[in-house]
Amino acid sequence: MNMEVKAQDQIAFYLTGQHNGSGLKPLDRSYRPALFARHADLTAVRYDFPLVLNSEGTPERAVLSLSGLVDEAVEALREDKDRDRIAQHGYALEREVRKELAHPIGRANGVAADFATLWNAAAAQLTVEDSTVDDSAKRLWALFHAKGELVDADFALPSRVVRHVWSVVQASKATAFHERAERLLLKLHAILDAEIAGSDKGRLPERLRAGLAAQAGTSFATTFNFDAMSRILIDAKPALALSEARRRRIQGIVDTIDRQRFYVPKTAVTGDTQAHGFVFYRCADALQAYKERRQEAIELLKALSIAELEVNGDYRESGSTDVDDQTSTSVPGHDMIFEDFGAGGLDAGLLATLPDYLVCQYSSELGAEETLQIVEALSTGLPIRVLVQTDDLLEPSGIAKANLVAPERHLALASRSRQMLDTAINLTDVFILQSSASQLFRLREALLRGMSYNGPAFFSVFSGSTGHNGDVPAYLVAAAATESRAFPTIVYDPSAGSDWSTRLAIDDNPSPQDAWPVHPFEYENETLQTRSENVAFTLADFMAMDDRFREHFAIVPKADWSEAMIAVPDSLKMSVKELAKGTIVPSTVPCITLVDENFQVQRAIVNRRALEETRRSHAMWHSLQELGGIHNSHAALAVERAEARAAERFAEQMKSLVTAPAPSVQPVKEPLAAAAQAESITVGEVAVTVAQESHGDDPYIETARCTTCNECTQVNSKMFAYNGDKQAYIADANAGTYRQLVEAAEGCQVSIIHPGKPRNPKEPGLDDLIVRAAPFN
Amino acid sequence: MNDTTMNGIAKSGAMTFPLPLAPVNVNDCLLELYEEHYELEDYQKGVPRWCTGCGDNAILTAVQRLCRDEKLAPEKTVFVSGIGCSSRLPHYMNTYGFHSLHGRALPIAEGIRLARPDLKVFVNMGDGDCCSIGAAHWIHAIRYNMNMTAMLHDNNIYGLTKKQASPTSPIGLKTNTTPRGSYLEALNPLSVTLGVSNVSFVAQVVDWIPKLLYQTLSAAYHHKGFSFVRIIQRCPEWLPTHMDDYLHDPQRVLLLHHENGLEIDSELAKRYTNMEEHDPSNLNRAREIASGSDPIPVGILYRNDDVPLYEEVRSDSRLRTTSLVKNGLEAEFDKFTIWPEGQTRAKHEAA
Ligand SMILES: Cc1ncc(C[n+]2csc(CCOP(=O)(O)OP(=O)(O)O)c2C)c(N)n1
Ligand code: SF4
Ligand code: SF4
Ligand SMILES: [Mg+2]
Repeated sequence: MNMEVKAQDQIAFYLTGQHNGSGLKPLDRSYRPALFARHADLTAVRYDFPLVLNSEGTPERAVLSLSGLVDEAVEALREDKDRDRIAQHGYALEREVRKELAHPIGRANGVAADFATLWNAAAAQLTVEDSTVDDSAKRLWALFHAKGELVDADFALPSRVVRHVWSVVQASKATAFHERAERLLLKLHAILDAEIAGSDKGRLPERLRAGLAAQAGTSFATTFNFDAMSRILIDAKPALALSEARRRRIQGIVDTIDRQRFYVPKTAVTGDTQAHGFVFYRCADALQAYKERRQEAIELLKALSIAELEVNGDYRESGSTDVDDQTSTSVPGHDMIFEDFGAGGLDAGLLATLPDYLVCQYSSELGAEETLQIVEALSTGLPIRVLVQTDDLLEPSGIAKANLVAPERHLALASRSRQMLDTAINLTDVFILQSSASQLFRLREALLRGMSYNGPAFFSVFSGSTGHNGDVPAYLVAAAATESRAFPTIVYDPSAGSDWSTRLAIDDNPSPQDAWPVHPFEYENETLQTRSENVAFTLADFMAMDDRFREHFAIVPKADWSEAMIAVPDSLKMSVKELAKGTIVPSTVPCITLVDENFQVQRAIVNRRALEETRRSHAMWHSLQELGGIHNSHAALAVERAEARAAERFAEQMKSLVTAPAPSVQPVKEPLAAAAQAESITVGEVAVTVAQESHGDDPYIETARCTTCNECTQVNSKMFAYNGDKQAYIADANAGTYRQLVEAAEGCQVSIIHPGKPRNPKEPGLDDLIVRAAPFN
Repeated sequence: MNDTTMNGIAKSGAMTFPLPLAPVNVNDCLLELYEEHYELEDYQKGVPRWCTGCGDNAILTAVQRLCRDEKLAPEKTVFVSGIGCSSRLPHYMNTYGFHSLHGRALPIAEGIRLARPDLKVFVNMGDGDCCSIGAAHWIHAIRYNMNMTAMLHDNNIYGLTKKQASPTSPIGLKTNTTPRGSYLEALNPLSVTLGVSNVSFVAQVVDWIPKLLYQTLSAAYHHKGFSFVRIIQRCPEWLPTHMDDYLHDPQRVLLLHHENGLEIDSELAKRYTNMEEHDPSNLNRAREIASGSDPIPVGILYRNDDVPLYEEVRSDSRLRTTSLVKNGLEAEFDKFTIWPEGQTRAKHEAA
């Protein structure tokens, strides 16, 4: 067959998906995406998995990476002479643990593995060959400060991780709740006890004697006269008593807090009360439970709120009304406020005191009914956490089955969880995290944030356990989903800000700025020369890993490779152009790069259906980029317009600059010397000037300098009075004599009373008084 | 580029959403509702028994104004004092008060800080109270740096007991215990305070400049740590002319000001033109200034916000339940308990 014919066959496959005996080979399981070539065996690689679901330490350390732990420990041994040996053993132990986890020997599949058990088993295994491994393993272990389940990326991972983080958050909530309840109960009991101790009953001789029970029988207890003491106490101090209403209220809240069933009591209580469960597998059940417990929750939250007020002495049974000159403001009393507590709904902040509901569901089980329930649950604003786990992203959409031949048959591309995600985003106050299982460790901080978020949170996780990827580990399938944008990483945090750009984060995706992540791919050709090319990872590459879609690809034998075979991203651009030109038969075919089982580079043609799916997924990614603030078309437009306006303004300014005369700037000379002179007027003169200017012959006080010494007010409290700041002023100059004014001025130690001129010319002894007043005027 | 909507999310870069409601705690909003507005009268109690003209009156007014302006709930505020004329101040405050023992105001205030960290603590002491019998407590209170505002009412004399020399009486002052004039150089409370490790706030002010007195006490109150304010206080009863020269000559006070210290308003600046710009973080300069007594330096001499607070260093988050206290005590006692042969606490309790 000549080259021409082969090219036609390739185009025919691209257009129809038919081989036509063209020498093209079917794609089978032995081919892998080129970028995975080096990761055939994940147990040999040091990467972030497996994870330790740590049950020790702070919530920030809830999810740890095995390799990370080893690195941390080795780093801590920086100064240690055995560091290198221990590090080498650490890596070997890690590998051993990975192997055991991937191919469990002593453990049934799906059963959680215990970190300590696996670590010790690995140590025992390796110690057989090298006796120092045991020591290394022990020393590393001592530095880990971690224990709990060890999990690898598999079907169970999403729910294990999410549930673990949830329970860590709940544990810290429980601690906070118990501390608060304990503090409140202690103080409430103290209020009740104080009443008893202060009552006549509490002062009876028996009670006083009981207070010294420890000394019972000692000489002190027998000689002390408790009867006399009781008489003295009862006579000396009136009994203090709580009002009946307050006592009943306090007793009521004590009982409510004691009986609560939202948290497991710290110490086992007798009786059959059992704490409520908060993990559900259907949203309907969670909502039902919430409704059933609602009244109980209201009672508890109300009791806690009242308790806070009571222990601070801030509870006011009835309100008050403040009447100002014109307005009157009424403050309702707490009795009234608490009467209707919770009737208008409980807000998320209050509910955050109680445990959060966790619902774990599989997207494959989501019918219309369940989907509705989830939407309802998320739209309540309740602190509910919903995990939807997706195992199959490429499941064909409802109307299609198995293949994509009919044009209307799109790939679902996680349509069920995507619907949920869209709805959740539109609810605007739901925290959202979408992530592949492989990304969960990197996103642990966002996961924790979502779990602690004051409102509903939605977690959509792709497990990578599709059942259609042969023996490719779930971790790689999950990672490929992220890489290909089939399942992009999304964090939507309503508490981060008020607009899309702050709330929606897509920067945890690989190369978030680009259409696809592009990686350099190096290989040797037949002549053993190293070649390097940039390979993008697209949805087509992801589809090629899936048993159900291999028929959309055809391997081209190396001898038939040609210039017409171009990479998928180029082909997407090209086909748009060709389509615009009305070209029916394209001149090129899209290709992906793979490796076969002998690590030979291979290329496969992508047929048109698969290319169109890739285009669709790219469009979705692009929209997401825009929402996330990357390549935003509105922003681009706005920038363009602003630039145009700025250019216009600039042009105008230039014009006016040319026409307007240059401004003449005159240096302003400050009359510095004059200012300095004005400042240097002596204090006495200033006071005199002020006196003459503003007070004339009237007496006055420099009120701001008054020291509240009571001298003047004692001379005449009608004439001299204090203002709101307790500083003296002349309240009524006619309320006393000039003599009093002069005497007060003389008595005032800070000399701030100025008597002015006498008002009554007939007052006796005025001549002398005027002379005495002179220094103060 | 594809211009349809993605999965039903309308494309929009400029769309904004209202912020989610901030977490509201019902207690917060109710307490807000009751936030009181206070008048000076709310802090006044009784009629001060101090002599007419006594500088303690000015100090009382200043703290009452401070409490009002800071809206300090009377039931969340405590004034602690020792014994002396000045120590009567808590009686005239309608807050909690502790008129304690001569010289012992500070240890009691420290106890209050530890047991009731929710209270604002003020301490009023006389010069005899603080610098003589209470000197040991004073030194250690500076070093412990617990959050409180300590005022030294320094009238250079024992007022209450009728005119005996105090450690701050200037050399030559004639008193009942030093009829020929006191023999020793006076103790300088500022220098002492500035010499103790961990010192975090030292200020000096005179009772006769109300504005400055208020500003200084306010700065002291806002400082987190042990704020020591020496207030030069007139005792017209025993030393009627003692301060007159300073009182009538504005040049004999030196106003310390700085953007990190006190900002002097124009009224004051007009009268008190003798000023120095002094950075309160400069300890060495503070010590130099402290050593001068004429003119009297007034304002903030030293402030360091980074000194750790003892109550924070030693804070115990455990709830002081009866059982915690009891178990703690039992554990201590057990260290010294000698049980009869074969007996243990466990057995004892079981029996
Ligand atoms: C332990 C003890 N020692 C002595 C006294 C007697 N005493 C009462 S007040 C006082 C001195 C008061 O002077 P100061 O502290 O300066 O206060 P002021 O009255 O000057 O404000 C003395 C010695 C006492 N009350 N208690
Ligand atoms: S005598 Fe002077 S300082 Fe004393 S209260 Fe009257 S005005 Fe004020
Ligand atoms: S004796 Fe002195 S300090 Fe005491 S009240 Fe009288 S004036 Fe004030
Ligand atoms: Mg004194």
